[in-house]
Amino acid sequence: MRAILVIFSLGLVAGCADMQVKEAEEASRSRVFVANESSNSVTVVDGDSFQVIATVDSRNHATHDLAVSRDGRWLFATNLASGRLSAINTRALETVASIATGDRAHVVTLTNDNRQAWVANIGDNTISIVDTGTFRILGTIAVGKGPTGLTFSRDGRFAYVSNQGDKTVEVIDTATHRVLKAIPVGTNPHFLVLGPDGRIWGTNTGGTDIYVIDPATQDKVGAINVGPAPQQIAFGFKGLQGPNAYVTVAGLNRVVVVSADPSNLRILEQIDVGQRPNGISNNREGTRLFVVHENSNDLKVIDAGSSSVLATVPVGRKPIRVVYHGN
Amino acid sequence: MSARVGWSGGLVIALAFWSLLPGGGAGPAAAQGVPVGTAQNAVGTLVVVRTDGIEHRLQGRGSLPLFEGDVLRTEAASQALIQLRPGIPVALNERTSLKILSRWDKTGGTTRILRVSRGGIWAKAGAGANQLEVESPVSVVAAREAEIDLKVAEDGQSSLTVVQGTAELGTPFGVCTVRGGTASVGARGAACTAPQPANVAGAVSWKQAVSQ
Repeated sequence: MRAILVIFSLGLVAGCADMQVKEAEEASRSRVFVANESSNSVTVVDGDSFQVIATVDSRNHATHDLAVSRDGRWLFATNLASGRLSAINTRALETVASIATGDRAHVVTLTNDNRQAWVANIGDNTISIVDTGTFRILGTIAVGKGPTGLTFSRDGRFAYVSNQGDKTVEVIDTATHRVLKAIPVGTNPHFLVLGPDGRIWGTNTGGTDIYVIDPATQDKVGAINVGPAPQQIAFGFKGLQGPNAYVTVAGLNRVVVVSADPSNLRILEQIDVGQRPNGISNNREGTRLFVVHENSNDLKVIDAGSSSVLATVPVGRKPIRVVYHGN
Repeated sequence: MSARVGWSGGLVIALAFWSLLPGGGAGPAAAQGVPVGTAQNAVGTLVVVRTDGIEHRLQGRGSLPLFEGDVLRTEAASQALIQLRPGIPVALNERTSLKILSRWDKTGGTTRILRVSRGGIWAKAGAGANQLEVESPVSVVAAREAEIDLKVAEDGQSSLTVVQGTAELGTPFGVCTVRGGTASVGARGAACTAPQPANVAGAVSWKQAVSQ
């Protein structure tokens, strides 16, 4: 009897250890997440093998933007047509909550501590503040017309919101939730992202340029024409050169590479990609760029060092946004 | 084969005919899905705006179905009483505007949510499916087995009075547990205030007329 108990206990210990190893393996894998607007889903791709792992139903309509938590366990997806935010458990690969934010929920960004998800509702001209623990809406902030881009400063003191209708980027004090300033930026500003030097980079999708805002002065400190309908920006290195800004330019079917020094913005290179590139993301090391294409419904993996396409991965219909998470 | 139509067959035909009448059957409002409640009484006028913009008005007693996404509005000198399914009574004070929403999550199922942009409401939440969350521009109230009164000012400032039970008042800057007989305030850019004893009877006296 004692022998049976010992064997049973050893089995349990081995089972637990096995589970811990599997969980650790799972946590160490890099992932690429793609929002498929016309499929209402998120494609999950292995960041190393570039194989599709799963397709997650967002349980909503017109899945548009994505934000992944720092620990990679949570993925938040906006859904334009539903006006809702989907919360996806990345280990279980399923949507576990659907949160009503506002009319035409467009983009989502996590606060630097990941405790809140801020969602820009383009139809309501508001930002919804979602508690990422309880999924409750803690409040809303009224902003300008057509908020389409959203990011935070490095120190978290400021949020930046691009307003398509007003052609501005608003600066919000995160301590008071009040708008401090509206910076004129250009035609139909859209995507915003925090750059590697702490500056805020944005695209004027209705025009041909990208611009840079310095949080130290809250002014536009640089701009450069890259081509018609610039969409999103990621950052990477080409060997010793960099960091460079990689801009998807839908009107050219190219990724345009720009030096990331705002005092000396210049185009370094143009990389041919698929039809109507939109979302772009980089791996943590800045050696790989992941680009999704609205018309060809695929993800291309670009090696930043050689500017060559390493892989083309079919995803869902009308992929808009791609985010990377690696440990 | 018999051509006779029994009472159940007649009912089917009658329902089919009714569905062809204007406003009957699967109209735009029905496209919103299953009703989530009923508007039962209005002192003055309650305006219900469906997601497609169609407006309904309730004056006096009635039974107007309410759907997810509806916006309910009372003007000056108007109040209303609604019943959310399965059993959450809610009163709207004058000059109130709110939207009926919900959140789904795998663990807790569906939580009914009222998003109040201005005005004041009273509600009596229960347990389980009768829990209620009330959002304002600056806060959220989570009520479970609690009777609450929430006033939302034009700038979003939200004053919660708990009549019975316990509710949570959350803002982006913190959460307060508010017990029966006390009140707390949430304002933009600030944590909720420490709950203070409140005149509960006075806070909810406004709803007497519409509750009768």
